[in-house]
Amino acid sequence: MLAATPIEELRSAVGAGALITAESQLQTYECDGLTNFRVLPGAVVLPRSTEEVQAVVRVCARYKIPFVSRGAGTGLSGGALPAEGCVVISLARMNRILEVDIPNGYVVVEPGVINSHVTQRVAAEGYFYAPDPSSQSVCTIGGNVAENSGGAHCLKYGFTVTHTLALEVVLPNGDLAHFGSAAPDAQGYDLAGVFVGSEGTLGVATKITLRIVRRPEMVQTLLAAFDTPSAAGQAVSDIIAAGMLPSALEIMDTLAIEASEAAVHAHYPMCGGLLLVELDGACDEVDALMAEVRAITEKNGAWETRLAQSDEERALIWKGRKAAFAAMGRISPNYIVQDGVIPRTALPRVLEQIGRMASEAHLRVANVFHAGDGNLHPLVLYDRSIEGQEKIALDLSYRILNLCVDNGGSITGEHGVGREKQQALGYMFSEPDLATMQLVRCAFDPQNLSNPDKVFPRTRLCADRPGPYTPHPLETAGVAEIF
Amino acid sequence: MTAAATITREEALAALASLVDHEHTHIDGDAIRVAPASTDEVAQVLGFANEQGLTVLATGSGTKLSWGNCVAPELVLSLERMNAVREHAWQDLTCTVQAGCTWNAMQSELARHGQFVALDPLWPARATVGGIIAANDSGCWRLRYGSLRDLVIGMTLVLADGTIAKTGGKVVKNVAGYDLHKLLIGSFGTLGVVTEVNFRLHPAEQDVRTWTVIAQDPEEFSSPLRALLHAQIPFSGVQLRASNGVALDISICTRPECFDDLENRVRAIFGSLTMTDANPDVWQAREQLFQDNALIVKASTLPAEICATAREIVKSAATASLDVSVVAQATGLMTIAFRGRDDAVLAQINQHRAQLKAKGGSVTVLQMPETLREKLDAWDCTSDALPMMREIKRRFDPKRILSPGRFVGGI
Repeated sequence: MLAATPIEELRSAVGAGALITAESQLQTYECDGLTNFRVLPGAVVLPRSTEEVQAVVRVCARYKIPFVSRGAGTGLSGGALPAEGCVVISLARMNRILEVDIPNGYVVVEPGVINSHVTQRVAAEGYFYAPDPSSQSVCTIGGNVAENSGGAHCLKYGFTVTHTLALEVVLPNGDLAHFGSAAPDAQGYDLAGVFVGSEGTLGVATKITLRIVRRPEMVQTLLAAFDTPSAAGQAVSDIIAAGMLPSALEIMDTLAIEASEAAVHAHYPMCGGLLLVELDGACDEVDALMAEVRAITEKNGAWETRLAQSDEERALIWKGRKAAFAAMGRISPNYIVQDGVIPRTALPRVLEQIGRMASEAHLRVANVFHAGDGNLHPLVLYDRSIEGQEKIALDLSYRILNLCVDNGGSITGEHGVGREKQQALGYMFSEPDLATMQLVRCAFDPQNLSNPDKVFPRTRLCADRPGPYTPHPLETAGVAEIF
Repeated sequence: MTAAATITREEALAALASLVDHEHTHIDGDAIRVAPASTDEVAQVLGFANEQGLTVLATGSGTKLSWGNCVAPELVLSLERMNAVREHAWQDLTCTVQAGCTWNAMQSELARHGQFVALDPLWPARATVGGIIAANDSGCWRLRYGSLRDLVIGMTLVLADGTIAKTGGKVVKNVAGYDLHKLLIGSFGTLGVVTEVNFRLHPAEQDVRTWTVIAQDPEEFSSPLRALLHAQIPFSGVQLRASNGVALDISICTRPECFDDLENRVRAIFGSLTMTDANPDVWQAREQLFQDNALIVKASTLPAEICATAREIVKSAATASLDVSVVAQATGLMTIAFRGRDDAVLAQINQHRAQLKAKGGSVTVLQMPETLREKLDAWDCTSDALPMMREIKRRFDPKRILSPGRFVGGI
């Protein structure tokens, strides 16, 4: 609980209607999409302007109260998990699109703007905002900036950082600073580049200038059915080796197809490895490339290929893919989702090893992945009601991350480190690497108040565990789906 | 040695020779030049310099060493011996290269598998990976592939105190920890010495065609250029050249069977303006600006402003009786060469700085005549992020041994 004086100061900073201190209401904010970690914050504020965010952060800095900024709370790594007794700064009310500049290809938004609303705003002009995390209909740009969110189409279009031109940031001492610019190559260090993906540990972004992209003239989406994920993986390697850069290359294995079909009925062919290829660009070019892609899939043993014939068919294919995580509930009482990355060429041997590790642990692992960039989403399925199984599942999901690092990859491709993977970061980076990152952290936040105890390994080694999935309160209430 | 240093030059030379060996340590003008062979040796040299308070300027082949404000270092740390392509994982479209490798040497190695780092910097035959990263150079390919920020996926760097740190990794999609490599790109050697770089690669461009459109005034291109960039065309580069005449160069990279349709679309946009097949040499225009002792700036503006800005710059130079040449990329980055009386050039720079800054842009002086060094800051940064940049510098290099004063705001 916070003392009366800082509470009073927070109230005068944002107004009584934007301060929450009642325990029953605070519970809404006790977790994000990683629901097995819950901590009750000391207070929640809902500022409406940069000035109000500054006033809140200054109160926190003065009384050394930790603060955690939060968008929609859809993050899967516990990035928005409150710190004990902290102030949660919800940016939900800062949800205006402030400027749209089509000739220069950018928009300026507040952090609470929902990802898909950016595209909706510029679609009529023939543009779109490219990063498309599966939660894009509910997640916010502020959260995307914190996590450097990706999505299925980042193979071609890049990540949130690729599309972030400039930021207005409230620093952890309450000062305001501007990083980057809409014009290229602002002078000085690329602080916008470092801030994106810093998971809320360097301050609070209050305005974001995003690059928007011309909507492609044509999009074609192909489904190809293979006997194994490895065969589908080989087709992916051959497509890349042929010099193509599709906008998406996704693979699902049998378990993932079963779950997705049970939930969404996307009419996927039932097979060992389903490949989804999306190409976009100028009409003639896409036609020519798609013919080449079909030939490559057939050469690699695809026994059925299916080209989406309409926007509706394409939307259904994507609905099945994006619902794959949530659909796991149809085939397993509990599951853990991971986010490791490996070099594409390691795909067959890593998949084989995951399969072996799973059968040794007597558990099932479903695989859904962004094959083009080697981003795996292994889903470890288990039943919490069977004594000891959760621990085995947690251990397995953790060893899968280490396996990714051992194969030259990363522990996270788009979900972030947050609270969930702090110790795994220590497996991926050495002490001097982490100490060098800390130099940046300390320059921004010497008092360690901005989203403390996240990202970096904790001194207590035992505290770290990846998260089994339990429904988010919003999900239970039917307000949102966690993808 | 300066006041901060505690040992004589001879003592420093002997100590460095013991770390790197005699053959690669020698006196070079007012400085000691040392060429380590590995990241470990770089770490030892920097650790020694930091302990002794010796200032250090890292260099590759020195093509851009005069960029930024003047540094008179006690130690010149050359990366010339660290020039290998360490790894080319061609099936993963990634590579690892030592910082002293020249751009062309790297590209020829990658070309064996039909791949490249999709960036066209200045003087690729001599410029090194490390120097290009320190200066954040980029050319016309940036429109299609992005800048170094989008192409560098990891690095090994050595801090001022000799700490060796890795950042990022060898996979393109990776959000683990802070992206320190973004901080190092364009930092002009003020935060650490980069010794190895991991790049993401692209398939090399095979079928490229270039056209040039001619006009009298840059403004004539203003609305066609907007239409061009709005069209669905796979550009390889779009650049405006303005001096006495005005030209717009357009490169398209696509499959052979698609060129006719795309060319027709481009011709329709330019209507009655003359459009001809061009020699690929037009893409050397930026480099050609540097050939004499001109004052060269990198100016940044919003993409839709380049025609109006180029027109203003050419007009204003003519009024001041100066020679000027502008090469502007469609991304909003312009390289401009001024030739003429110092005071008139200085006045032009100050005027353009004020005008571009008002629109969110900037003017950075890259090359200047020695006679102007005292009168002109290479940078004009007044950002409210400067205090944070200085604090980062203080944390990374508390004794200020790495290129002190070269960068923005005295960093």
